[in-house]
Amino acid sequence: MSDHDLFPYLYEWASDMDVSLAGNLRRWAENEVMAKRLELKEDYEQLLEPAMRKLFLEIGMQRLLWPEEHGGDGHNTPAASLTITAALEQVARGDVGIALLLSSLWALQSAVAMEGAVNGEACAALAEAVAGRDEPALVSLVLPLFRDEPQAAAKHGKGGWTVEAASTRPLACGGNASLYAVLCALQGSEEEWGVLLIPGDAKGIERGDALKRTGLAADINTPVSFGKVKVPEGMCVAEGREACRAMLSWLYLGISASTVGALFASYEILKEWGDSRVIKGRGHIFKENPLTAAVMAEVAKETSLARMLTWDLARILSEPAVYGPPGQEGNHVTAAMVVHQVSQAAENAINRAMEMMASAGYAREWNLERYWRDVKALQLCLGPYELAKMDVSRYFYRASTL
Amino acid sequence: MRTIDDFTRPLEYLSPLDDPLGMVVREWAETCVIPYRRRFDEDWKEHELIEPAFKRLMGELGMQRVLFPEDLGGWGLGRSNYAGTSSYRLFEEVARADSGMAVAFGVIYWPMVMICMEPHVNRELCEEFAPIFCSTTEPRFAANAMTEPQGGADIENMEIVKGSTIQTTAVLDGDEWVINGHKLWPTNSGGVCNLFGVVCTTNPGSEDPNDFAFIFVPADTPGVTQGPPYEKAGMAADKNGDIWFENVRVPKSYRAHGPGLDLLYFKEVITFGNMGSIAFVGGSMMNVYERLKDFVSEETYRGKPLKEHDAVAGVLADIARDIEIIRIVGYQYARMIDRPDLYGPRWSDEMVAKGRAYKYWACDRAVEDVGKAMNLMSTYGADRDWDVEKHWRDLKIVQLWMGGKQLCQAEVARWFFECETL
Ligand SMILES: Cc1cc2nc3c(=O)[nH]c(=O)nc-3n(C[C@H](O)[C@H](O)[C@H](O)COP(=O)(O)OP(=O)(O)OC[C@H]3O[C@@H](n4cnc5c(N)ncnc54)[C@H](O)[C@@H]3O)c2cc1C
Repeated sequence: MSDHDLFPYLYEWASDMDVSLAGNLRRWAENEVMAKRLELKEDYEQLLEPAMRKLFLEIGMQRLLWPEEHGGDGHNTPAASLTITAALEQVARGDVGIALLLSSLWALQSAVAMEGAVNGEACAALAEAVAGRDEPALVSLVLPLFRDEPQAAAKHGKGGWTVEAASTRPLACGGNASLYAVLCALQGSEEEWGVLLIPGDAKGIERGDALKRTGLAADINTPVSFGKVKVPEGMCVAEGREACRAMLSWLYLGISASTVGALFASYEILKEWGDSRVIKGRGHIFKENPLTAAVMAEVAKETSLARMLTWDLARILSEPAVYGPPGQEGNHVTAAMVVHQVSQAAENAINRAMEMMASAGYAREWNLERYWRDVKALQLCLGPYELAKMDVSRYFYRASTL
Repeated sequence: MRTIDDFTRPLEYLSPLDDPLGMVVREWAETCVIPYRRRFDEDWKEHELIEPAFKRLMGELGMQRVLFPEDLGGWGLGRSNYAGTSSYRLFEEVARADSGMAVAFGVIYWPMVMICMEPHVNRELCEEFAPIFCSTTEPRFAANAMTEPQGGADIENMEIVKGSTIQTTAVLDGDEWVINGHKLWPTNSGGVCNLFGVVCTTNPGSEDPNDFAFIFVPADTPGVTQGPPYEKAGMAADKNGDIWFENVRVPKSYRAHGPGLDLLYFKEVITFGNMGSIAFVGGSMMNVYERLKDFVSEETYRGKPLKEHDAVAGVLADIARDIEIIRIVGYQYARMIDRPDLYGPRWSDEMVAKGRAYKYWACDRAVEDVGKAMNLMSTYGADRDWDVEKHWRDLKIVQLWMGGKQLCQAEVARWFFECETL
């Protein structure tokens, strides 16, 4: 039985294409990552980069959401939210870091390339950087680290914008991005926020040393400073809080689906353990022991519910005519609640799976600890949960000063 | 300014050694470990950076000698009435810098508990093994080899499984034990061990406590092979690997005490393991407090330090609360170890069960709290530079080792609720 059948979601929402894409990406995960990782571990050059190139370029995931008229596959309707959910579950099952890179790219593409709101100027300018055929499109999102405080400011002047920010911490790929998408506090504009698009080789960008981190080895991140970087007028996309929130809602969906993928992988590892390990020395198969079975049930429950919630969010984003636009406060809050819930559930579930496997869970060889580290690092991309709660309370209780 | 020293210790029963020893180790941590520890992960196999810090602590400062009797070059802690509380402080201070080093250090004591602790000092074996540790300034490592490929939890699950799953055998052949078996994961294995304490059976499959044997095996005995260290999620300073014993012959006297008593006093080893684990958790958590305090004081949100945001402060309070309670509970358990006249023998089922309860409580709190601390730090929480993620990775195994949480739960339920079949 595949995960698709085992952990339910409302299948009728997924198209045939979504299901078949998920099947292909499942094979990508197995052949390009899982089959090689015992030997290559988390090696970037030998394992992760080639796998990522294959996924982005050969399989063509970086062109999926891009408009046909700009060289993409034209899957740029809101229903793509369901497609990226199906895809990221499988990608993250192979590698969570690669799934984060893809989630970042798709979040940006959702902001400039959605049918009905295609930003022609941006799409024309960016086609090569974010949906080309030669190099992986690595989009580095520079977002607020603490709720609603952008890390950068952009000043409007003659002929465009000037972006200024010292030592920002991008969400991912600060060290090797083809494009930076920087959420800025706008000065000299009616809107408070906007996302400024800056090519990776723009003048004025300075990258710090590569960061050593808990997980997500596919992501080469560094602090990045923007020293008076000039950005043409049309490269300020997603102007206004609602537009920025729309991009964040898509990002949260991507992170949520990636987390579900990590849960699938953890479940599989635990299942293998539970099927074969003997405890109590009397031929008791691990999974048949009530005390451990109760913990294993928790892992399955968290996985199942995380998946359902994620698909619910995908459905909400896929039907703006029914649920409203993705940047609307209610939808943004829903997205934030779902992703935090899924992420915490995953932290709990993988923690508990490690309990079941004791030293095997802690050993690199079994890979469970890798999902544990990756899922935690992915969670931290969301910023502190305590601050996200302020948005939730603001919305549900109409608090005005939070 | 408040510091980690403001977390409460029960001052009325600390030994006079507590502060002087604690300060020596803190100084060592500040100079020999903390400046280097961010590079320890890459050093997991070679220990080029880690080894000099061990040499200073264990060899030069002499901490590897503390349990042995004074006349054999030790510090006589095993015969004092403050072995528990003093060790607690030592472990806590080392773990503040690096809990992997703390376990490697603590486990030097661990098998020695069998022979160095009153009232069951085995003088002959102390004399035999003291020179390994007491007559050198080089670090020397001991290991307590319990876990086997088929499972570690069952080997510690004495009440129910009664040693019947132990597959490492000891057969008496004249005046020698002949040992055969495969152990894995002991702290201080992976090639570094000098002396093993090996959990064996003299009658495979038997549930008779008399067949449980604890036998010392010097690592250079013919037939002992140590495999390379495993790569793990954390705890780079602790090396763990496979050990194979193939027709290993040691003198008959290397069995710690003999039928029945080996198992009895082995439970005291478990008691010390639980006490040590709480200290490792407490020490690491105190450093998490230090680093987190720096972070939330420096980082601002809406024009104020992050710690001044009420919702953030709520989580900070929870973390401080748990560190405070872990420390008090840990010291209390150490004190119970020091006063068998009041709390009963250290090897009693009661002491073991209570130790398991405190240990798994402390571990659960720590895993959750450090996860929350990282979350408050936003994406910086995953950075090596902030140290918190290191403690998070390291502490997870404290929760998993010594049979894991479920064994703790089984033993606690068994003792308090008098369950009979768990
Ligand atoms: C860094 C590190 C240091 C270590 N140090 C040492 C050491 O010094 N000496 C040593 O001997 N070992 C050591 N170990 C091994 C460790 O103690 C074992 O991993 C642990 O005891 C669990 O054994 P196991 O891994 O074989 O898992 P298993 O015994 O297979 O147990 C796995 C899980 O099964 C469950 N379980 C097992 N039995 C039962 C039961 N009867 N009822 C309910 N649930 C059960 C528990 O959830 C347990 O966590 C170390 C491991 C690491 C990673």
